[in-house]
Amino acid sequence: MKRQTRREFMATAAQVAAASAAATALLPGCATQAPDTSKPLVRPKVALVATVVRKLSHAQHFLDRLLEGYGWHGEHHHPPMELVSMYVDQFPETDLARERSKRHSVPIYPTIAEALTRGGSKLAVDGILIIAEHGEYPKNEMGQTLYPRYPFFKQCVSVFEGSGRAVPVFNDKHLSTDWNHCVEMVADSKRLGFPFLAGSSLPVTWRIPSIELPLDTPLEESVCVCYGGVDSYDFHGLETAQCMSERRPGGEVGIKSVLALKGSRVCDLLDERPATRRLVFAAMARSHTCVGSSGYTYSAPDMAWLRQHSAPLVGYFIKHRDGFKTAMIMMNGLLSDFTYAGSVRGSDRIVSCQMYLPMPPTNTSLADFFNPLMNNIERMMLDHKAPYPVERTLLTSGMTLACVTSLHRGQTAVQTPEMNVAYRAANEPAYWRT
Amino acid sequence: MDRPLKKIAFVLEDCSLGSPGQQLLDRVLIGYPRDGEFHRCEGEVHVYLAPQAADAELRRRLADFPLHRESTIEQAVTGADGIVVVPGHVHSAALAKSCLAAAPGGSAVFVYGAIAGDLSDAQNLVSLAESRKVPFAAGTSLAVTWRLPDVDVPAGAPVKRALIVVQGESPLAELHALDGLLPLLERRKNGERGVRSVRSFTGDATWAAGDEWVPRRLLAAALSRSDSPQGDPVRDGRTQDLLGLGLVPGLARSPRAWVIDHTDDVRSTILVLDGVIADFNFAVELANGSIVSAQLYRPPAPQRHEFSRLAAVIERFFVSRKSPWLPRRSVLTSGLLGAFARAGRETGSIRTPELAV
Repeated sequence: MKRQTRREFMATAAQVAAASAAATALLPGCATQAPDTSKPLVRPKVALVATVVRKLSHAQHFLDRLLEGYGWHGEHHHPPMELVSMYVDQFPETDLARERSKRHSVPIYPTIAEALTRGGSKLAVDGILIIAEHGEYPKNEMGQTLYPRYPFFKQCVSVFEGSGRAVPVFNDKHLSTDWNHCVEMVADSKRLGFPFLAGSSLPVTWRIPSIELPLDTPLEESVCVCYGGVDSYDFHGLETAQCMSERRPGGEVGIKSVLALKGSRVCDLLDERPATRRLVFAAMARSHTCVGSSGYTYSAPDMAWLRQHSAPLVGYFIKHRDGFKTAMIMMNGLLSDFTYAGSVRGSDRIVSCQMYLPMPPTNTSLADFFNPLMNNIERMMLDHKAPYPVERTLLTSGMTLACVTSLHRGQTAVQTPEMNVAYRAANEPAYWRT
Repeated sequence: MDRPLKKIAFVLEDCSLGSPGQQLLDRVLIGYPRDGEFHRCEGEVHVYLAPQAADAELRRRLADFPLHRESTIEQAVTGADGIVVVPGHVHSAALAKSCLAAAPGGSAVFVYGAIAGDLSDAQNLVSLAESRKVPFAAGTSLAVTWRLPDVDVPAGAPVKRALIVVQGESPLAELHALDGLLPLLERRKNGERGVRSVRSFTGDATWAAGDEWVPRRLLAAALSRSDSPQGDPVRDGRTQDLLGLGLVPGLARSPRAWVIDHTDDVRSTILVLDGVIADFNFAVELANGSIVSAQLYRPPAPQRHEFSRLAAVIERFFVSRKSPWLPRRSVLTSGLLGAFARAGRETGSIRTPELAV
């Protein structure tokens, strides 16, 4: 199909609306218009497009929150949305999608297009959640799992174009493992004028302590210390840092280069960068999981301790176009939480917190850090406005890709002139605090 | 005025790995995260460990740190600026009494847990501390741990009802519940005025008691703060409205409820619900009908960094010699534990005029 411009899309939308009395949810040319509050609230109908639904897969977390509700603001909250259709790509023996489908009478369609049109010829939902994390997919030469976020998204866009109507889309985690695809996804949302929200739950989960940086806080460097794998939790770590970094004066302007290092080379770089090193230990001072040596339950880490345990370290060091710096260090086996520290220009002040993940099955039974993410999705579906900019996730997708590339190229610097992503943070905090 | 700590004494009846004694001792030996940095304590550390206790962990620490082991309580506390007492049982008054009797003037004493298992023992200990001019405080980490969300009862707000859900064996579960609940309630209008009566429900009677005793609205709010619902969520990861779906009674193993009628007509309910959720959550209804609810967050084991929060409070107490909370809270806690023991043996409410604390 020929790609439509926004003008062409609007023209098509107007034709479709004029010809179709069924086009009641949104008016032509007003794809981002908020619902008319003078009319009784109609629960938006949403579709779930998922790779796999098994216990503790991302799609299971979202699906069950849509169907069963979740704890929010001191009550069991049922989303003001109706899940009306699903597309699920894989059905392993541990599949839960079919059981949920049967118990809640939500049909699973064989294709994404059919899920979005509910078996008809035109878009028949008011919002879409693309949850393409987990499942069996091939890896590329750099070891990145090729989750089908981009093709899923493009199939949604195709339905939008064929229907002359677009609806809000949420994309779980990073956009794609291909930078051009990432850019195209965001461009599609602008071109067709639909709200697009994406990313990790880390920016919106509990913070301990519960802090938000006022807009234009003069940060000069951000550090996230976390755990997990390359092309997996690294993205979460980068989102952790970026949701703070973007609040600096002038907002985000994009990144210039990245360098990814492993093991003792991370310590070598920290030796050369005392300001970064200070932030690393400030972040670790917010950790609740730093392991102790034999016979002890925890550690008070210092540089000697880090060197002694440097084997599993993976560090991403990122230069932004305005001189700002981001570092993200994964410490597998040494800790298992996400913490942030940032330095404030012109002072000795460090702001720091833990982005708390109630993580099942060890510590909890529910991954309730999905609650605030689900709630932000609800806000978008109701308000027709993304509560925070998708450009954050565009940039963190690019950071992840560039850092994985740096590792693949033997821990050498990668220039990123194409990642000149500029945006301003939302003013209103979006994290879980009530 | 703050003072440097030259000597801190630990008097322990248990120093096994993971015990409160080990956790607090290590905070002083290793340091602990505090306000975004690793804080290291100053001063000598002297330890007395009861002779019947296993001492492998203490011996390890003697090898790793400049730690002094003493053979008597008196030797341990002599010259101490601060004394941490960790009885092996949550409300053993005997160890605290020995420490208070030996505590030098100018020291401060913190007892982990309840100071005693009943009112009179607690009052005697407080009197002993006052007579020796030794500042004295007691409690667990539940009184000071993080809350999710970070909320409190507004100072001076009229309160109508309160409820907390905990798990565990008696009396530790009840102690944790009181340590979670009383710091919230004492902030209400006119503060804590004491307890008029206590009533218990166990088993199915807990659910038959009705809204008057186990308020459903507060239970719903407290359960909504849990990250650890049991049953189906454990089996297949689903979220679930346990109360709305009527699943709570079926999940609960040997439930017990303690209903506390305060002298100012505030009613609070402690629910010990094993098998329903696996974290501690509270809800407080203000007179205006709004509800303050949160989870009392207990960080993962083995680190258990709620002990870092408690260590910071204890260290501040020792440095300032100002008790972090009124001893009367600890007295009321002990009195309530004693009242619970009596209420559990009787039918209906038991009057507690002695708890007008």
